[in-house]
Amino acid sequence: MSTPHISDYIKQSLSRKLSLWIVSFAALIFIISLGFMFSQSLRTVRQEAVNRATQVLDNTTLRVNSILQMVEIATENTEWVIKKHIDAPDSMFIYSKQILLNNPDINGCSIAFEPYYFRDRGLYFSAFSLREGDEIKTTQEGNDHYEYFYMDWYLMPKLLDRPIWTEPFFDYNPDDVTYNAMIASYCKPIKDDFGIFIGTLSVDISLDWLSNTISAVKPYPNSYSIMIGEGGTYFVHPDKEKLFYQTIFTETLETPNPEISELGHAMLRGEEGMRQLVIDGAESYVFFKPLGNTGWSVAIVCPESDIFSGYTRLRRIVIGIVLFGLLLMLFAFVRIIRKEMEPLKKLATQTGTIAEGHFDQTLPDDGRTDEIGQLSQSFGNMQQSLVSYIEELKQTTAMTASLENELKVANNIQMSMLPSVYPDFKGLDLHASMSPAKEVGGDLYGFVEKENQLYFCVGDVSGKGVPASLFMAQSAQLFRVLAAQGSKPEDIATYMNNELSENNDANMFVTMFIGLLNIDTGRLDFCNCGHNAPVLDAKFLDMKHANLPLGLFKGFEFEGETVDDIRGKMMLLYTDGLNEAENPAKELFGDDHILEFMAKAGNMTAEEVLDKLKAEVEKHRDGSDPNDDMTLMCLKLS
Amino acid sequence: MNFIRRAVTAILILASPATLLAQEKFVFTPQWTAQAQFAGYYVALDMGFYKDAGLDVEIIHPTSTLTAMNRIRSNDSHATTLQLCQAMEIIDRGIPLVNILQTSMNNSMVIVSRRGVNPLTQQGERIGIWSVGFGQLAKCMSIKDNLNYDWIPFATNVNLFIKGGLDATLAMSYNEYYQIVQAGYELTDEEVYRFRDSGYNVQEDAIYMTREYYEKHKDQARRFADASRKGWEWAAEHPKETLEIVMKYVQVNHIATNRILQKLMLEDVLDAQIDRESGKREFRLRPDMVKLASDLMVECGMLENEVTYEQLKAD
Repeated sequence: MSTPHISDYIKQSLSRKLSLWIVSFAALIFIISLGFMFSQSLRTVRQEAVNRATQVLDNTTLRVNSILQMVEIATENTEWVIKKHIDAPDSMFIYSKQILLNNPDINGCSIAFEPYYFRDRGLYFSAFSLREGDEIKTTQEGNDHYEYFYMDWYLMPKLLDRPIWTEPFFDYNPDDVTYNAMIASYCKPIKDDFGIFIGTLSVDISLDWLSNTISAVKPYPNSYSIMIGEGGTYFVHPDKEKLFYQTIFTETLETPNPEISELGHAMLRGEEGMRQLVIDGAESYVFFKPLGNTGWSVAIVCPESDIFSGYTRLRRIVIGIVLFGLLLMLFAFVRIIRKEMEPLKKLATQTGTIAEGHFDQTLPDDGRTDEIGQLSQSFGNMQQSLVSYIEELKQTTAMTASLENELKVANNIQMSMLPSVYPDFKGLDLHASMSPAKEVGGDLYGFVEKENQLYFCVGDVSGKGVPASLFMAQSAQLFRVLAAQGSKPEDIATYMNNELSENNDANMFVTMFIGLLNIDTGRLDFCNCGHNAPVLDAKFLDMKHANLPLGLFKGFEFEGETVDDIRGKMMLLYTDGLNEAENPAKELFGDDHILEFMAKAGNMTAEEVLDKLKAEVEKHRDGSDPNDDMTLMCLKLS
Repeated sequence: MNFIRRAVTAILILASPATLLAQEKFVFTPQWTAQAQFAGYYVALDMGFYKDAGLDVEIIHPTSTLTAMNRIRSNDSHATTLQLCQAMEIIDRGIPLVNILQTSMNNSMVIVSRRGVNPLTQQGERIGIWSVGFGQLAKCMSIKDNLNYDWIPFATNVNLFIKGGLDATLAMSYNEYYQIVQAGYELTDEEVYRFRDSGYNVQEDAIYMTREYYEKHKDQARRFADASRKGWEWAAEHPKETLEIVMKYVQVNHIATNRILQKLMLEDVLDAQIDRESGKREFRLRPDMVKLASDLMVECGMLENEVTYEQLKAD
């Protein structure tokens, strides 16, 4: 048992088909308009996210920069005092302390000098002040265990010859004081009057506030902020294991990730921007911006799902509503169209009943004036026309039957007009047949015995059917009468012509071959009136006068001819129903075919010749209906 | 039956060397903070190889105020690790040292250029060097190859290099090199000069103790060396487990590093322990490398006298 296909299910119902078309079209419009709306919304949400994150990032960097700048300004302001009192090393302790006193955000300050800069102070001289709670401790921090002049904070401004921010670090000097907090230092080279580097002024600031400020940046529920140093090291990151221990590139050493590497390089180059990439398996947007002139970079990582959560929720709801709406629409349309089409269905059933012949079936009339109502009315009119037409048809059929019956009678009469008894002359073998193409034909043949002579003729009336048969009857009758009077063939023709052309308004005519055979001598006198040449001894009879067919021009003088002796020769007379018999390919039976046949017919009787010739014609027709009456006459005098 | 079995087990336990000797206290101080460079020692301690050797080993890492050599001098530590050139310098300064286990078979020092050029073209430029020693070979190379680098000693990390204060820096291929890569530098072979490939393949890390201590504790030194070697061999066979052990020490000591860096370091250090000629972990000091290092350092004025293989070698 085969399962019906869904397309068949749809095809079987116009309401389903129509509804599906309408809903598909509506769906297409929805898809296009919603697609446009979603893409626009997506762009807007993304832009809004960019604006929001950028604004948050700008605010954060602004706040951070203001504090960092404060440190930078404080450092600048201290430098000139140091240079002014460079010959008083002990004053450095006061200045390093003073900077802390004046700036509560600053945690420590080193005023460190090159080895042996102050000869009397030895290798190390670094005045260092540190805030510890409410107190400020000031010491000389250089010693054999803390060779400050190898430290980054000291070396960098020296080597780079400009102020720098160090990478955040945990400073340690267990012999003196210990920092537990992450700090960064703003370090400025100190130069003498000749521009020669003599030491570094370093101001420390705790980065805990920085870390807290940046960590607090959270424009979206699952977003987080990071800060990296110039070497890519994470100085702010929600994952404490990465803090200080990993750089943005660390994981790419094991698993190359070009997107992360590119982001890292962009941040290290101090660029500001946005990247879209996968972080920890989640599509994320990263907004980044450098922090002043520290060389550090801050970034906000926002998971895409967070940014677009509202949009995604809205999209789901809208798609849900649209899908539900489309299904509802489909359901409603199927119902409505089916209801509207109900009379049509009824009409289809009732017209089916009418088609089966129940013409009295009443069609629905629910008073509708729409197309369906019009269709129903048209069907009603058609039904009435059909009923009256069928009535007419019945009458016509009855008339046709009667006419056919009459034609049958006419055929019988016509056939009875043709001689059915052949003359009993010794040595004469004569046979003839007439096969009308319709119920009645226009061909004729005849023969009349007159002492030792035989009159015979074969004719073909122009046209077919009843008029031709009547003209044929008249011609046959005239031949019999004139032959019985013993006239010559050409006289018979002349007389017949005059008779037939009289009152011949229909301009009908008959071609005819009239022969007179002397049984004793074999002499044949004949007059051919526009008829096909007979075949004599397998050759067409050579005739000098073609003459005209009978009935055309009154008063025409017909010429006769003579063949001295036809004894022992087979003679075939025929109408054009023989040589022009057509097969389905419209090919004619043809004169050659006749001659070919007659050449083999020397030993046959006249009846055999006609039977075989007719069989040959049947064969040639190959199932085609006869296109003309066919009359054959064969005679042989021994 | 059970009694006999227990008795035999007891005899066997009593007869084992670890129990025959009382657990001797032995303090070992590697020359740097905790990292995979010393993986073999952590393994030997954690896997009980030292204990099996009858040693109660304590690994105490140096601090900035108390270096490994200071601890050796003050007899607070009994053994340390040193690079061959460092050890030669110390011997030349009058502190006889004995090499009781040579671990490194190849040199791991490199020069990394910051300018994207071959370091051999950076004549007279600023090159970073550790302020705490190492780098003797580099100084020799600078002299011999007429590069006259401007050496900038730095304390601890590669920030100076990253910040742009240096034109190039010395780095250990297992440590600072990866720190630089981790900072986003994509280094080409052209930018990295490898001493071992340039006629300066001098062995590095080995365990040293003062000759004075060694003479009095030869057996102890031998057992420590053997257990340490066993630790390194186990590490080479079990790198994953070794990394876990290393990370434990790294975390306890709050070292600013990460698993990936330590993994890379372990691989590099283990690779440097394979002799390039024999293809094996030989754990032996090569006289030819001692001679090469000594000749170079004498020539460059870093040693007053030649330091010979015999001077370094344990009995």
